[in-house]
Amino acid sequence: MAFEPREEQTKLIYDELRIYSDEELNNYTEEELKNFKCKHDIPDLDEMEKGPWPSYVADAKREALHRRNLAEDRMLIHRDVVEDLLGQVQLSFDEGETHWKHGGIVGVFGYGGGVIGRYSDVPDKFPSIAHFHTIRVNQPASKFYDSDYLRTICDLWEFRGSGLMNMHGSTGDMVMLGTFTEQLEPIFFELTHKLQQDIGGSGSNLRTPSCCVGKARCEFACIDTQDMCYEFTHYYQDELHRPAFPYKYKFKFDGCPNCCVASIARSDMSFIGTWRDPIRIDQEAVQAYIGGEIEPAGGSHRGRDWGKFDIQKEVIDRCPTHCMHMEDGKLMINMADCTRCMHCINVMPRALRPGTDTGVSILFGAKAPILEGAQMGILTIPFMRCESPYDNIKEVVEKIWEWWPEEGKNRERLGELIQRQGVRKLLEVLDIPPMPQMVREPRSNPYIFWKEEDVPGGWDRDINDYRSRHKR
Amino acid sequence: MEEIKKAILDFAETSKKTKFYFKDIEKAVKKVIPDAKPREIKKAATALINAEKLIYFSTGSSTMYGLKGRGQTEDH
Ligand code: SF4
Ligand code: SF4
Repeated sequence: MAFEPREEQTKLIYDELRIYSDEELNNYTEEELKNFKCKHDIPDLDEMEKGPWPSYVADAKREALHRRNLAEDRMLIHRDVVEDLLGQVQLSFDEGETHWKHGGIVGVFGYGGGVIGRYSDVPDKFPSIAHFHTIRVNQPASKFYDSDYLRTICDLWEFRGSGLMNMHGSTGDMVMLGTFTEQLEPIFFELTHKLQQDIGGSGSNLRTPSCCVGKARCEFACIDTQDMCYEFTHYYQDELHRPAFPYKYKFKFDGCPNCCVASIARSDMSFIGTWRDPIRIDQEAVQAYIGGEIEPAGGSHRGRDWGKFDIQKEVIDRCPTHCMHMEDGKLMINMADCTRCMHCINVMPRALRPGTDTGVSILFGAKAPILEGAQMGILTIPFMRCESPYDNIKEVVEKIWEWWPEEGKNRERLGELIQRQGVRKLLEVLDIPPMPQMVREPRSNPYIFWKEEDVPGGWDRDINDYRSRHKR
Repeated sequence: MEEIKKAILDFAETSKKTKFYFKDIEKAVKKVIPDAKPREIKKAATALINAEKLIYFSTGSSTMYGLKGRGQTEDH
């Protein structure tokens, strides 16, 4: 389906929007970098650069040197912001204590989220990070950017912020790290008016929805995750920017159970593409895998000798529900038992494909540990049709949003409310019957709790009638 | 709407705490106007934010509301 933006979009052209010249962008040599010394002593951070993995310290030093070589009037916040940041981190390592203060009244006008106030509690030592607010940028679906956009946003952030960014950590958004309060409104203006870019969610609201690459590139996608993400981001704008929930609420969209954005672990409401009809099998391609003509798993284990591909060991025996077998040289799948785990499809993508009767599974309540422990989403709606404009799904969203804000305590995630009031209550709210797919383990509670309306005659009984049949 | 706004402001001016959750606002409004809907309360709160009578106060992970000028309202 061709993408149709809600509002007219103009193509960003870096050369028209750029702030810095090429000379300014490439203003130091690798030799200078080698000899760079931060103005604070940072022995532990220097140590971090030596490990096997790329370190943020190395990136931060590049940025610090870059700022040292820029002219004074080419940055609107302090030149030393990165060096002071490194200095404060070192101080925290020395003392085993953080020196950040979180929160406050920073934000942009009319928005209740997207900006997170942060201040140093030792501003005398590190004046350039007296304020170090972060701004969340609502990333495009599947994080598709072009270099004109990225270069423009980097220039903007160098000019009005620290130049440090965090691309899509666990929040999902693009995060711009560190600026002063007086820069917030101008940055917001530039983002919205020039870059046609909204800020993301933070605080007690709908967080920036995110999705996997989906149909744009992935043959496994059972639903159009990008379209859904875009639609839900627009449709629920008010919830994104005007916080009135008990706590955060996250939507994430995965096109298939491979779960590339880990919606099952990271979102209060996780959407996972799935299918109802049989897995499509190309028996000739199955034979080609067995014969070694096609590399298993798209060649992703290439480069080491794993021996000849063994369909029994590598596919059939690894099916979690043991629903596959070979019969007269043909691969058979008992679809009634298949849990759509994707394993066989991942190993033999040319031979096996998801079915064509596609839709979405909806899971609720995943979260990181704050009140209760971490938990994964609970599979609650095994299958639902999933077509634009998604009215059936929005109905489900709104049922939850009538219940959780009403019953949830302050700072209680949906998953915790489900734990507190029970899955049974969740099903009542959604008005759906219990289904075998929802059962995670055999029951451990020997009691059955009836509800009055389920019992003929309710809780009241006529004692005389009872006594007429039962002697004392 | 005006009635709800007034109830919110009354609460924001007299509440024990200077920063409160949306749920606290809801409770306070419902005491005065029992059939007020959450959506209407949210609309009224947003209008008060836009009129610069209320402010958002964010801790980063959760958001509270406050009356502009009461308690800590300037940047620290
Ligand atoms: S979740 Fe599935 S559809 Fe989405 S990118 Fe990953 S494999 Fe492809
Ligand atoms: S998708 Fe998973 S459960 Fe289904 S047949 Fe393949 S391996 Fe078995």
